[in-house]
Amino acid sequence: MRTWRLCGELFLFQLVLVRYSIVEKILKKEKFNSLITGLKDQGYKTIAPKKDNNLIMLDEVQSADEIHLDHVQTNNSIKEFFLPKTEKILSYRMEKNKVSIEEPEGFAVKTVIFGSRPCDAASLPVMDKVFNWDCTDKFWIQRREASAIVTIACDKCDNYCFCTSVGLAPDSKEGSDVLLTRISDDEYLAETVTEKGEKLVESLGTVFTPADNPGTETLNRQVATVEKKFEIEKVKPWLDENFVHKVWAEFSTKCIGCGACTFVCPTCHCFDIVDECTMSKGDRVKNWDGCQFKMFTLHTSGHNPRSTQDQRWRQRIMHKFKYYVEKFDSILCVGCGRCSRVCPADMNISEMLEIIATENSQTGDKE
Amino acid sequence: MIEALRKKAEELLRSNTVNVIYGYGEGSTPERTRPVFITKPEDVSKLTWNKYCVYNLTTYLKRRESRKLGKPAIVVKGCDAKTIVVLIKESQIKREDVYILGVTCNGVGEPMATKCKACDVHTPRIYDELIGEKIENKEIPFEERYAELEQYEKLSEKEKWDFWQKQFAKCIKCYACSSICPLCFCDRCIVDKNQPQWIDPSAHPRGNLSWNVTRAYHLAGRCINCEECQRVCPADIPLNLLNKKLAKETEKNFKYRAGYNIDDELAMATYKEDDNQDFFK
Amino acid sequence: MSEKTKFEPRIVAFLCNWCTYAGADLAGTGRKQYQANVRVIKLPCTGGIDPLFLIKAFERGADGILVSGCHPGDCHYNSGNYHARRRWNVFRPLLEFCGINPERIQFSWISAAEGGKWVETINGVVNAVRALGPFEGYKKINAIGPDAPSESFVTN
Ligand code: SF4
Ligand code: SF4
Ligand code: SF4
Ligand code: SF4
Ligand code: SF4
Repeated sequence: MRTWRLCGELFLFQLVLVRYSIVEKILKKEKFNSLITGLKDQGYKTIAPKKDNNLIMLDEVQSADEIHLDHVQTNNSIKEFFLPKTEKILSYRMEKNKVSIEEPEGFAVKTVIFGSRPCDAASLPVMDKVFNWDCTDKFWIQRREASAIVTIACDKCDNYCFCTSVGLAPDSKEGSDVLLTRISDDEYLAETVTEKGEKLVESLGTVFTPADNPGTETLNRQVATVEKKFEIEKVKPWLDENFVHKVWAEFSTKCIGCGACTFVCPTCHCFDIVDECTMSKGDRVKNWDGCQFKMFTLHTSGHNPRSTQDQRWRQRIMHKFKYYVEKFDSILCVGCGRCSRVCPADMNISEMLEIIATENSQTGDKE
Repeated sequence: MIEALRKKAEELLRSNTVNVIYGYGEGSTPERTRPVFITKPEDVSKLTWNKYCVYNLTTYLKRRESRKLGKPAIVVKGCDAKTIVVLIKESQIKREDVYILGVTCNGVGEPMATKCKACDVHTPRIYDELIGEKIENKEIPFEERYAELEQYEKLSEKEKWDFWQKQFAKCIKCYACSSICPLCFCDRCIVDKNQPQWIDPSAHPRGNLSWNVTRAYHLAGRCINCEECQRVCPADIPLNLLNKKLAKETEKNFKYRAGYNIDDELAMATYKEDDNQDFFK
Repeated sequence: MSEKTKFEPRIVAFLCNWCTYAGADLAGTGRKQYQANVRVIKLPCTGGIDPLFLIKAFERGADGILVSGCHPGDCHYNSGNYHARRRWNVFRPLLEFCGINPERIQFSWISAAEGGKWVETINGVVNAVRALGPFEGYKKINAIGPDAPSESFVTN
């Protein structure tokens, strides 16, 4: 069952290869400042990792000094630049039997996201699928078109990272327009992944220097080694069979249903739409929502089809590793580990997947 | 101490005094522990105790999933034990509903949590069984307990507003702060009510101010300063400053500290005829 | 002349039915003049005024708020105002701690017989808030929402 997915991926990858050949350049750290200034001059808003007290946040930067590089992962994910935590989707006004609607404009600002991680970048093509599905989400799509992603490959990782278990790697190129890989203390190898990326690199002129030696494969690429924790091929078949299983409750008694995992996740995309209004006018606002909240599935009747936390936890796993795969041929998880880092109760998703993968190797022990 | 804890836990389970132990177990990393629910005597070796036992496990008293496991014995530190006092006073549980496994504690967290620096409950003030050497609870003067507030209280009005606006702007409205709080036990929070919508669910500055002020205020005279809300806030908002401010005003005005004495009347459920009113015209 | 003198503050007054509202009524029937900046919201008792009402009033554009009810000991429901007083004792410092000027939230006890005190209090609140100016801080954070000017769309 994994095979068809892999085939799909190979096919896509080949398409990219046929259409596009990578350009390699060098980016020196000392050029970061001219890079940011160059982007600003071209009218880009630049987002990069920034230190904010105890957190490392992807946020707008004005100069290279603000950029933080020495971390495993940013606390917030890349998604908020495409699907903000709160955004107005329209305003309305009612006057004498007449309703007038005003739709927001100018939300897709030219943006470069610099220094996000490969897992974050990889989440974007996965999410493109759902936002181009039954309804095309103009907010997502236009922002995607207006943005370029310049990723920095991970040179370190922690216990929570598991990109290699979900078919990615600390230097994978999925979703990036340019991939930077550290090759010395003050140099990065820049590989363009898309035409958009190539144009961006070109437009910045001398910020990037030619990789004069033709054998860039001899360079000392500093890429973290991320241990493979489980075999993803074993996950979905188990999920197909075990909607009812005692492991769901056993694992999730400690979950407090806070939903923090879904909010920091680059691939969780549920939202809620509310009207903030008075009698005659209001705004329709789209807010993040998540399946871990008990209100999420509460019916008007008072019935709640997912009335306990184990059902909600199961939903999270099922959605990511079964339903989304069935619908969109992609796993809805990039192994960034944020959900596990942030979880107040230390629910660890890769541990859950390890259990599932191991269970699958043994005979099923239901209820 | 761990051995004593495990031994007692095993005894409680074997004798059917309780059905489950809410305790701490090994976590994802050595710097982390996690809540564990032990129902079988042979599993007590999963219990642990160290300086990473930050969680206030009494929060599982409000959760249906853990309550399903039956009568609990809960491992509590001095600060956590205060929660049980408040829960009893607020008629959420009866004293006999829980078995309190009090642990003496010298501080948790790395670096050590703020609450521990001015702790006067190293030995819990309420327990059924005490695990660990008794530590004398020293009285700490009022000023010292609220010392961390000072630098914020003396800011100008504008500085205060700007500081909090910056903090609240970070809020992503995940409600982890209230989900973790053992005393935020309403089945349906005011923020989830939309007829009318009192608090905007959006994570914009207006909704965030309203939410954060309301959350803190609903814990006025109730918060026992376990600092769990601040620990879990993914946006790193210093929620504890708000809680502390309210605790300070409650203590100053009503001589009440939440969870200290089981005989004290709940500050917000009572009044005195001569309560302060110098701000009334 | 200047912006400031033109500014007319919006004051929301939360009054209890039995004392202050009746006091305000008395001022009216006695044809006493007071500044017209106040919108009155009548409630059964100060004990029923949730602090969220105050937040909501600011969200909907209030520059200042007055909460007023029966004198201690005179509550129609015996102790509602005592409970309310406890709440304001902690809520007011909380708002102040968050950077809201306490002059914008005022409290008084006004009985049904104190029409004069009502006039005096209202004028006092209006003057104090007029001196403070519009509540710019709150106006700014109302950026998304019904009272926002439509160009103030916030993208991020
Ligand atoms: S962050 Fe952890 S405790 Fe919160 S909902 Fe997610 S898994 Fe549950
Ligand atoms: S589920 Fe967890 S590990 Fe997977 S993408 Fe989301 S936050 Fe990252
Ligand atoms: S406040 Fe006291 S009892 Fe609580 S964790 Fe700190 S030292 Fe231990
Ligand atoms: S935990 Fe933090 S980010 Fe989440 S709702 Fe509470 S204050 Fe906001
Ligand atoms: S408000 Fe925070 S510190 Fe207070 S009891 Fe709740 S979780 Fe603990």
